[in-house]
Amino acid sequence: MWAYVAKRLLLAVPVIFGVAFVVFAMVRVVPGDPAQIIAGETATREFVEAIRKDLGLDRPILQQFASFLTSAARGDFGRSIRSRAPVSEELAARIPNTVQLTLAGLLVAVVVGVSAGVVSAVRPYSWLDAAVMFVALAGLSMPVFWSGLMLILIFAVRLSWLPAVGTGSLAHLILPAITLGGATAAIIARMTRSSMLEVLRSDYIRTARAKGAPERTVVNRHAFRNALIPVITVVGLQMGTLLSGAVLTESVFAWPGIGRLMVEGILTRDYPVVQAAVLLVALAFVVVNLLVDLLYALVDPRIHYG
Amino acid sequence: MLSSIRASTTAEAPRPSRGRGRLVWNQFRRSRAGLAGLAILALFLLAGLFAPMLAPYDPYEIDLEASLRGPGGGHWLGRDELGRDLLSRIIYGARLSLVIGVIAVAIGATVGVPVGALSGYLGGRVDLFTQRAIDVMLAFPGILLAIVLVAILGVGLVQVMVAVGIVSIPVYARLVRGQVLSLREQEFVDAARALGATNTRIVWRHVLPNTLAVIIVQSTLQVASAILSAAALGFLGLGAQPPAAEWGSMLSNARQYIRLAPHSVTFPGLAIMLTVLGFNLVGDAIRDALDPRMRL
Amino acid sequence: MRRLLGVLATIVLTGALGFSAAAAPAVAPTRGGTLIVGSGTDATTLDGHLYTDAPTATIMEHITETLYELSPEGRVQPRLALSHTVSPDGRTWTFRLRPNVRFHDGTTFDAAAAKFNLDRVLNPATRAPWRFLISRVTEVTAVDSSTLRLVTDAPFAPLLAHLTHSGLAMQSPTAIQRLGADYARQPVGTGPFRFREWVRGDRVVVTRFDDYWGEKALLDEVQFRVIPDDGARLAALEAGSIHVAVRVPPREIERLRAGRDPIVRIDTSLRTIYVAFNVTRPPFNDKRLRQALNYAVNKRAIVQSALAGTARVSDAPIAPNVQGYSPVPVYDWDTDRAAALLREAGYSRERPLRAVFHHPTGRYIRDAEIAASIQGLARRVGIELELRTLEFGAYIALTARPREQNDIQMYMLGWGTVTGDADYGLYALFHSSQWPPVGFNRGFYKNDRVDQLLDRARVTVDQAQRNQMYAEAMRLIAEDAAWLFLHSESQVTGVRAAVQGLIVHPGERVMAHQAWLRR
Repeated sequence: MWAYVAKRLLLAVPVIFGVAFVVFAMVRVVPGDPAQIIAGETATREFVEAIRKDLGLDRPILQQFASFLTSAARGDFGRSIRSRAPVSEELAARIPNTVQLTLAGLLVAVVVGVSAGVVSAVRPYSWLDAAVMFVALAGLSMPVFWSGLMLILIFAVRLSWLPAVGTGSLAHLILPAITLGGATAAIIARMTRSSMLEVLRSDYIRTARAKGAPERTVVNRHAFRNALIPVITVVGLQMGTLLSGAVLTESVFAWPGIGRLMVEGILTRDYPVVQAAVLLVALAFVVVNLLVDLLYALVDPRIHYG
Repeated sequence: MLSSIRASTTAEAPRPSRGRGRLVWNQFRRSRAGLAGLAILALFLLAGLFAPMLAPYDPYEIDLEASLRGPGGGHWLGRDELGRDLLSRIIYGARLSLVIGVIAVAIGATVGVPVGALSGYLGGRVDLFTQRAIDVMLAFPGILLAIVLVAILGVGLVQVMVAVGIVSIPVYARLVRGQVLSLREQEFVDAARALGATNTRIVWRHVLPNTLAVIIVQSTLQVASAILSAAALGFLGLGAQPPAAEWGSMLSNARQYIRLAPHSVTFPGLAIMLTVLGFNLVGDAIRDALDPRMRL
Repeated sequence: MRRLLGVLATIVLTGALGFSAAAAPAVAPTRGGTLIVGSGTDATTLDGHLYTDAPTATIMEHITETLYELSPEGRVQPRLALSHTVSPDGRTWTFRLRPNVRFHDGTTFDAAAAKFNLDRVLNPATRAPWRFLISRVTEVTAVDSSTLRLVTDAPFAPLLAHLTHSGLAMQSPTAIQRLGADYARQPVGTGPFRFREWVRGDRVVVTRFDDYWGEKALLDEVQFRVIPDDGARLAALEAGSIHVAVRVPPREIERLRAGRDPIVRIDTSLRTIYVAFNVTRPPFNDKRLRQALNYAVNKRAIVQSALAGTARVSDAPIAPNVQGYSPVPVYDWDTDRAAALLREAGYSRERPLRAVFHHPTGRYIRDAEIAASIQGLARRVGIELELRTLEFGAYIALTARPREQNDIQMYMLGWGTVTGDADYGLYALFHSSQWPPVGFNRGFYKNDRVDQLLDRARVTVDQAQRNQMYAEAMRLIAEDAAWLFLHSESQVTGVRAAVQGLIVHPGERVMAHQAWLRR
């Protein structure tokens, strides 16, 4: 198993470099003078030249990439064109908000998804099952930005139970978390259901039942634990959806996180900000995937990865 | 994501035959959900293809005096802030989504399938390198890669199509590679090689046709995903520019009137949801039809 | 783009900058607290001589002061200058300055400091956008520490009004000389508030200056927070996280009026919203096309829908409460005339007129919606407009490019005639000497007769004669269709009920100088 861990870690390295390169290349692929692009449209000529010298934009590409990497490793992503503040500061201010939202979304997704999936699985093909699965399918067909707006319409505008935008209290977190976690909950529900059904049909469960164990124990002790394994996979896979969903959810709820910073950056062509934000999110995703893979390997010794 | 795990486990597909298609269709017909999905898709297709004939009004014609009016008086879904008919705009939005979906998937499949096939078949360094490139693309979660591409290409309809298309490539590549890997060692491939067929011929004539079923299933889901991604980009203001009747940007615009005109926020989103639901239902049903053992 | 001040002036002023006529508090003012103002755009620069937009002016008005000020009712009043005399030939102005005034950095405000500031504005190297306000001044002399003398090359009627313009702010010479280019990030003035911090894209914070020469401010601090989205700004106001929200979406007025907190105020604003054509480039170098667009747009409908009736359709390039205003024939909505002109110019449904229409988003009330409305209306007569928008700072820079680089065809802007005098509203925008990068005539309009009239009116003392000249000039400008004339706004501001003493100046400035928060 440790061989697997080592191999996995090794494979992650070129991916990280690749991601960093894509982000680095982003600015140099856009038509136009990279120095002007990074400095911004309204920058004076002197400022543009200063940027050119600062970032060494006339040096060979690989050298530029190397210095980009070393700066990034230090946390230096340059300055935002719009605010002139160091990008790292702007990121630091917003990272906690995105983390908070993503974790809350994950919580909603796992709790709601797993519960729904289990409920469905223990009464398969019943009307309850059909209802839950249909809601799940509808849920994952809903665009995150629409479900967010609908939730705002119902709970903030019509009922005034919860605030529509902004942050500050737990109440502010509820709607965004439900929005973000909703689609993923649907996927988890479906996966949990199918996984549990498969397990419930399997031999060792039949053995447990034949031995006379009460249904509750069968479900809880045996089926559930084993069914969880593929569910963990799905949760891991859904981290990507959650992270990218956070970008959209933040836009809908004016949540001051990285996603919103990124989108605003693109609309104002604030490339240093976009680069840093994208790099951060992508790296977070790579790391999370790695962790999930490792967790998976730990949890299920039956898995062999050559 | 989920679909790609599931689909790749149906790898032991035997040779396709005409009878098989019929079998699948018969199985598909049994699923009510699948048929419902098909009905929705038919509606979507109709709206997309015949928009000018179906739309009751010109989707770009404004009527400032009727700004934000609710459903009624000949305008079944109401009007937006410039008085444009929402139903007509949604129908034209279907056309736009259809175009985006098809082109994006076309780009993704055209590039992704050969890349994946060759990568899986040839193995070795080609495979290693290609897989790392695909890993990098997949390292960007969800629409993030599309956002990066739009940041590079600029905002606009064409750019969105290309961006979403490029984002589909790794999905196909991975999928096909998985198929090819399992088919590669099978007997009919050995036989073909023994008879002197070149690698390309083997891939093209023998391996790929067996993956067709999987590619089709994936494509239905991929179109839905493309439509969703494009709508998301439109919502963020990165897609087609006004006055384009694009579902995502319609939603984005309507946000500020959520209190005054909830209909303008409800209906475009409902359209997106129903369309995606349609594709998902059909995709699910096809998958089940292909392998009844995996029926949910 | 400064606010136009109402010169209807019939109400006698109550003295110091202070309580607006309506707010007579029944409770004694409380000291302390922080007022948070939600603004739509970030400050562009904090150098009092270099900014050009009203939102920045709002902030600067708390930090810096001018020699004279314009009251909300339109009277020129002493501020840093106490009185003045004019020589018989009308060319020499002598000002007695207020003694015992200090800048925030402790240095003294005196005639030398005043001279430094005016010289700086006059110096072409500074590129002060408001230079034209005092361009006829040839000599600035500090006679002694409290006497300033200005000499003009001809009798210049608007001089006193112009000295109220906040672009001629008195800033600390010491600070400017010491900080150089960095001064634009940390201004030093004589106002009731001193600069504290500027977090770009987020907020500007000012704190009470306890050594202020006049009535000390009541608030401890004022924050100007940037919330570009109208809806989000209003939501923040309703949630109570900000106290004042500028530019409340007019459609929300009805709903808000039904409640008790926050309050919606509608104040006069002398800002005229227009679309300027670049008359030196195709297609709008053809007058017929400019006129066609004017005929094609139903301005009344736009005012009714996007602005919920809180604006006045333009019948002149300046608003009615500007000295020198008179209505001139502008273009009524007439799609037939529009179509005819297009045909005449060679366009048709098969070959439509196409143009790129630049507009800001979030700077003026419903600006993006107005642009989309214009696009939709133009489409009806067969004109295809492509909309392009930018973040405001970048937008201004784009429109301000000199002629050779300026490829913009038509762009939306607003102009507030803050001095209350037509010279300010017309000279800056239509005189051919005011083409960028020198001035604000970003449409590159040039009409020799108009130039002549505007020049003459500047140096004529008799108001009736000036009005006649302006009337003729405006007639020509309208006939030339230099603009797509739209409307003049009202200010729609949302204020929490607890806020007292806030002034919403017709110059589009929210003034918290004597504001306080009721507990």
